[in-house]
This record gives sequence, C-alpha cells and structure tokens, in this order.
Amino acid sequence: MKKNLLIILLLLLIASSQLFAQNVIVNNNLTFGTVYPGIPKTISKATAGFAAEFYVSGTAGSEITIDLALPTYMNVGSSNMQVIFQETDCAIDTSATPDQTNPEFNNLDPWHTLTYRIGSNGLYLWLGGIIVPGLSQNEGSYASNIVITVTYTGN
Amino acid sequence: MKNILDIKKMIYVLIILGSVLINKVSAQDVANGSATANVQAALSIVATQDLQFGSVFQGVSKTVTNNDAAAAGIFTITGAAGAGISAYMTLPQYISTAAGDDRMTIAFRNTDITIDSTSNADPSAFGSGWLDVDPNSLPTGLVIGSDVTPHTMLFLGGRVIPSVDQSAGSYTGNIIVTVAYNGI
Repeated sequence: MKKNLLIILLLLLIASSQLFAQNVIVNNNLTFGTVYPGIPKTISKATAGFAAEFYVSGTAGSEITIDLALPTYMNVGSSNMQVIFQETDCAIDTSATPDQTNPEFNNLDPWHTLTYRIGSNGLYLWLGGIIVPGLSQNEGSYASNIVITVTYTGN
Repeated sequence: MKNILDIKKMIYVLIILGSVLINKVSAQDVANGSATANVQAALSIVATQDLQFGSVFQGVSKTVTNNDAAAAGIFTITGAAGAGISAYMTLPQYISTAAGDDRMTIAFRNTDITIDSTSNADPSAFGSGWLDVDPNSLPTGLVIGSDVTPHTMLFLGGRVIPSVDQSAGSYTGNIIVTVAYNGI
C-alpha cells in the first residue's frame, strides 16, 4: 500500500514537472551589419533577419514574465560603441499565426518586465535597436550580449 | 502504529506537494542572444599636393589642368572600400599675400575636377570615376575605391587671373574639402 502510494506520488511529481517545462531559444541575433563611423543605424523590430527574435515554448495559456538584460555598449577589444534600446523597441506575438510586421503586442518597452501568456504556437519576441558609432569609431566587429530570462508566474 | 503510518503518509504528501509548488513557481529558462555590428574604417582626407600655379606674370592669366601631375591639387580620401560618401568643396574666389595687402582672382570652371575611385594617385593617368566635373557641385554617388588600398582621389585644376598691377609676391588661399559617409 505504502509502495503504491509512493509510486503514485512520484508519477504526480514527474507529471507536474513536465507540465511546467518551458524553453526559450534565440532564433535570430540583433544584427546591424555594416556600419559606417559617424552614421547611426537603426534596426526595426519588424525587420526579419536583422531584428533579434526569441521564441518561447511551453504550456499554452500559462503566464510568463520576460526580462531582457540589455547592453548599453557593444565592444571589440577596448573599443566601445553605444547601443540604444528605446521604450518601443520590442514586440510580442502569441497568436497562432505570428507576424513580425504586424505583431499582436507592439511597441513594448524592453527595459521592463513583460508579462504575457504563451499561445498555442508559443510566444515570439522581437527586438530592434540603434547603434551610434562615433566619427572616429575604430573599425571592427562589435558584439554584446542580450540575455532573456523567462519565468512562469504560476498563473 | 497506525498514527506513525499516517504521519509518514502526510510527510510524503507534503514533500510531493512542496516539490510541485516549487516546480510551479521556479520554472525558468534563460537564453543568451547577441547584438553584432561591423564598423568600417573611419574616413579621412589628406591634401596630398597643393594646387600650384608657380610663377605668374601681371596681366597674364594662368591655368593648371586637373591632369597636370606636378601642379594639380590632389586630395586623397581613405575609408571603407566601396562605401558611399558625400563630398563638398569650398573654393576661394581670391588668393592673397601673406600680409593681406593684395589679392588675386582665382577661378574654377565646371570641369576643373576629376575624381578617380581607383588607387591611382597620378592625375595624368585617370583610372575610373568622374572625369572633368564641377568642383562647386561634386557628383552624388561618390564611393571609396575598392582596390587593395581603398582610396578615392580628387584632382583639381584652376585658373588665376592676376591684374596688370598685381603686387609681386606669394599668394595663397584655402581649399577646403569635407567628406562624410552617407551610409550607402
């Protein structure tokens, strides 16, 4: 009897863990491409292939919070270049047919925690930005990290 | 004995419920993306050779052509190969003595500049680009040359018109060229 109870409880535990399993992946990095010193460059969140795209999979209907840790500079060696994320540079689509050019939730602030529910087709997040190279910006391939953290709220 | 069994059952249930609760509130995932950019070489321009009229006689105008290797003004623009640039030239109307006590007219025709987007630095051996265009309105669509050494050269000619009573001496004037990437 005790053994059966234990097995049942363990199965419940496994089922519970699977129920709340989730995953976030990077589909596309934010890519500014070729940049000239002295000329700022903007990548729109709606520009496929250049805007950052993150995909969150998980239980449909579950509420999650999304936090982005954004850089303020990009680097190569000891050289820095300013990168700016405005309060409208993010968009999210949780619909069954996600559309980067006409997202379900547009002009979101990437600097604040975003709370949404995962849709039947997961959740897509897009991010644009601006870089501001100086007139005498050193030549090179600049990079910086964008960290996305997705957490279930339990709601 | 039964009480002990009940307590054990309760402990099992609490452990499992706790585990479920923990899973529910702490489920989290993190992904690391990146932002990347390739910054091209900074733009620079150097006056490689001044526009030199040499000896000039009172009342006799003198012209230097833009393909005169020894006398044409030469500017060297260096930047990212193939990058689009905009350029603007500020030309003097007069050149003056150092003391400023006399000045001489200088004129530029609308064919007095040649822009060579190869690495050719010799005004007399035009490579490719814009031949004999207007220095007061440099063409759009300028690019940095795509050779191994990415240069674009400006070769400038002009004409001085000394008066019949022009004071003897050395005359100079500033020729200012401004260049900037246009992002194209």
